[in-house]
Amino acid sequence: MSAIEVKNLHKAFGDLKAVDGVSFDVQQGEIFSLLGPNGAGKTTTISMLSCLLRPDQGDALVMGHSIKADQMGVKSVLGVVPQEIALYNDLSARENLTFWGKMYGLRGAPLKQRVDEVLEIIGLTERAKDRVGKYSGGMKRRVNIGVALLHKPQVIYMDEPTVGIDPQSRRNILDSVVALKNQGMTVLYTTHYMEEAQELSDHIAIMDTGKVIAYGTNAELVKIVGQMDRITLTVSTDGGRVAEAWKVVKGVKQVKAEDGTLVVLAEDSNQVLPRLFEAASTQGTRITSVTIQEPNLEAVFLHLTGKALRD
Amino acid sequence: MKIFDIALKDLTRSFRSVFAVLFMFVIPLVVTGMFYVMFGGMADSGTGFSLPQTNVVIANLDEGGSGFDMAMSQFPADANIQSMGDMIVYTLQQDNLADLMQVTLVDSAEAARSAVDAQEAGVAVIIPADFSAQFSDLEGQAVLEVYQDPTLILGPAIVRSVLNQYMDGISGAKIAVNVALAQTGSGDPAFIGQVVEAYLTATEATRDPAALLEVRAPAAGETEEVPLLLRIIGPIMGGMMVFYAFYTGTATAETLLQEDEMGTLPRLFTTPTTQATILGGKLLAVLLTVTIQVIVLLTLGALIFGINWGSLGSILLFSAGTILVASAFGVFVNSLLKSTKQGGIVFGGVLTFTGMIGMMPIFVFSNPSATIDTISLLVPQGWAIHGLLQSMQGAATGNLLLTMLVMLAWSVAFFGIGVWRFQKRFA
Ligand SMILES: Nc1ncnc2c1ncn2[C@@H]1O[C@H](COP(=O)(O)OP(=O)(O)O)[C@@H](O)[C@H]1O
Ligand SMILES: [Mg+2]
Repeated sequence: MSAIEVKNLHKAFGDLKAVDGVSFDVQQGEIFSLLGPNGAGKTTTISMLSCLLRPDQGDALVMGHSIKADQMGVKSVLGVVPQEIALYNDLSARENLTFWGKMYGLRGAPLKQRVDEVLEIIGLTERAKDRVGKYSGGMKRRVNIGVALLHKPQVIYMDEPTVGIDPQSRRNILDSVVALKNQGMTVLYTTHYMEEAQELSDHIAIMDTGKVIAYGTNAELVKIVGQMDRITLTVSTDGGRVAEAWKVVKGVKQVKAEDGTLVVLAEDSNQVLPRLFEAASTQGTRITSVTIQEPNLEAVFLHLTGKALRD
Repeated sequence: MKIFDIALKDLTRSFRSVFAVLFMFVIPLVVTGMFYVMFGGMADSGTGFSLPQTNVVIANLDEGGSGFDMAMSQFPADANIQSMGDMIVYTLQQDNLADLMQVTLVDSAEAARSAVDAQEAGVAVIIPADFSAQFSDLEGQAVLEVYQDPTLILGPAIVRSVLNQYMDGISGAKIAVNVALAQTGSGDPAFIGQVVEAYLTATEATRDPAALLEVRAPAAGETEEVPLLLRIIGPIMGGMMVFYAFYTGTATAETLLQEDEMGTLPRLFTTPTTQATILGGKLLAVLLTVTIQVIVLLTLGALIFGINWGSLGSILLFSAGTILVASAFGVFVNSLLKSTKQGGIVFGGVLTFTGMIGMMPIFVFSNPSATIDTISLLVPQGWAIHGLLQSMQGAATGNLLLTMLVMLAWSVAFFGIGVWRFQKRFA
């Protein structure tokens, strides 16, 4: 059964179509990622799915509750981790968690117990009494996530939870996302980091300019670019002539010139690379750098949009 | 109840903020304290905060004279005043100076001076035998001797200033008599008596030194028992309280905008909590914060400065009105703003300007007038101060109730518009 069914959502800000007909299904108990660059419309989508923004058109069901007709129903099954940290800096982590717990309807002993558990999960038991304002960015992010876990929601949205933090906090967060899934929660995760989507997700929807441009598992998406390795090279002379020579090399599928570098798509870089060097030297050209990328979502995004995921 | 949880969270945050506490409690108290010191700072507050009284010994040697007794109708019969000297003694023994000085009478100038030398008294006032006679003699020069402990500063200064004002009044009377004589050429003692009496009536100062510093004419007889200093300090403290209650109302209501910008308000809207509860909680927080502020300031005003705010019933009425209108004003003003960036205009401009207008009846010392009172009633602060002064002056409950109803009407209008605008904004 679907935990979230998104049906043709639209949202415009003036002339700007921030979300332009987005549909996808999130299965119960999976991690589903919305992957896309800044401005793709991820946060706007999440805002509509958490009833903060009213869609211009379309609807969505969260655990069967319509975001238009049954907002309280949606909110009661939902935990939201907003992209921007939304906490009270002048309250301690424990006070923040206790307050938000009450807003999710927890009281008394169960609330206190759950706050203790969440503090444990986010690894801040020791610092629970300190005001959040004194925390590092990573610690704040962890509390920001902790708030959404208090009432053990069936569905949790995490909007770019790892932006701007140290690697250790990032690791902690990625691990906890997997832990949530293992507890049976459904996670809708947004990111512009391809590696995160790749590592975490059962399914991925790639978004760009308000639209879902590709959808599937990591493996399914990578097939879009045809399982090819991506070899990026810089050369000492004019790239045009070399590119022509490389196009006829055995095993090479495609050669593209991209701002001063040449990108070669090939079935197996191990076999193709020596031939590329050979072809280059017959042209009197030296190869000055080489990078090999096995197929990934970055390549998929590049393939579909002609631009890099990270700008 | 989530509504209380939200309000409690806001209260916790307010009272943790050094800034908020500064503006809520410290500044009103410090400003009042400054006025308190400025105006002498010697009133007996009954809480051990008072400065020591000055012991004054008076040797009243005045043997009387013919010209002064016409003015005696100014004084109560039982005061038994036979001379100008008796008049001075009577004046210095008045109840409203009792907080400032303890008067003892001695028989001789010698005894008076030695009391000061022995440090039994801070000031000796010696009224010479010919004091009345010199006053009666239009050419004469009535001179008082003030002998003081050189190590004391404040107490003797106050005694001297009261005497100076008194002597000014007397010289004024003499000048008045001289002028009258020059113009009419009449030496009739009955006529001179009338002139002096008329003068003394006009310058109530000679009889009541407190009147020299009075800011407003007290309305009820009861108030005349209130010590001088408190008659000044009470309204000032009250004015500060009203001004900063509005400040607090606005600052607390501004957390609606702050939380919107911080993302905690949108986050609240993602929890299963209705908009009514969230807005209700925020408004409740504004009301409670201002309520706590007003209660604390009223209590501290009474405890530290000994201010009598009025009867319990009228205190309840004007405080309730003030709390409501200050909170509603805050909600209203913030509902008009786009973001907290515009907050500076509100705090620096709107609040200060309307607050000043509202406080005019208190701070326009020299010339209180009906016009100023009326202008001040153009702003809600003016009504709060109106109610406060009514309560302090023991106005009838009916009058105070009317003031309260006006504040209620302001509040309903402010709350109505403010809440409606916020509801629309967060819908
Ligand atoms: N409240 C808003 N008003 C106007 N434009 C907005 C608003 N929120 C987002 N946008 C615009 O909509 C587009 C999508 O934004 P967003 O959903 O935040 O993207 P993402 O989260 O993928 O970075 C962007 O171009 C952004 O500038
Ligand atoms: Mg975003």
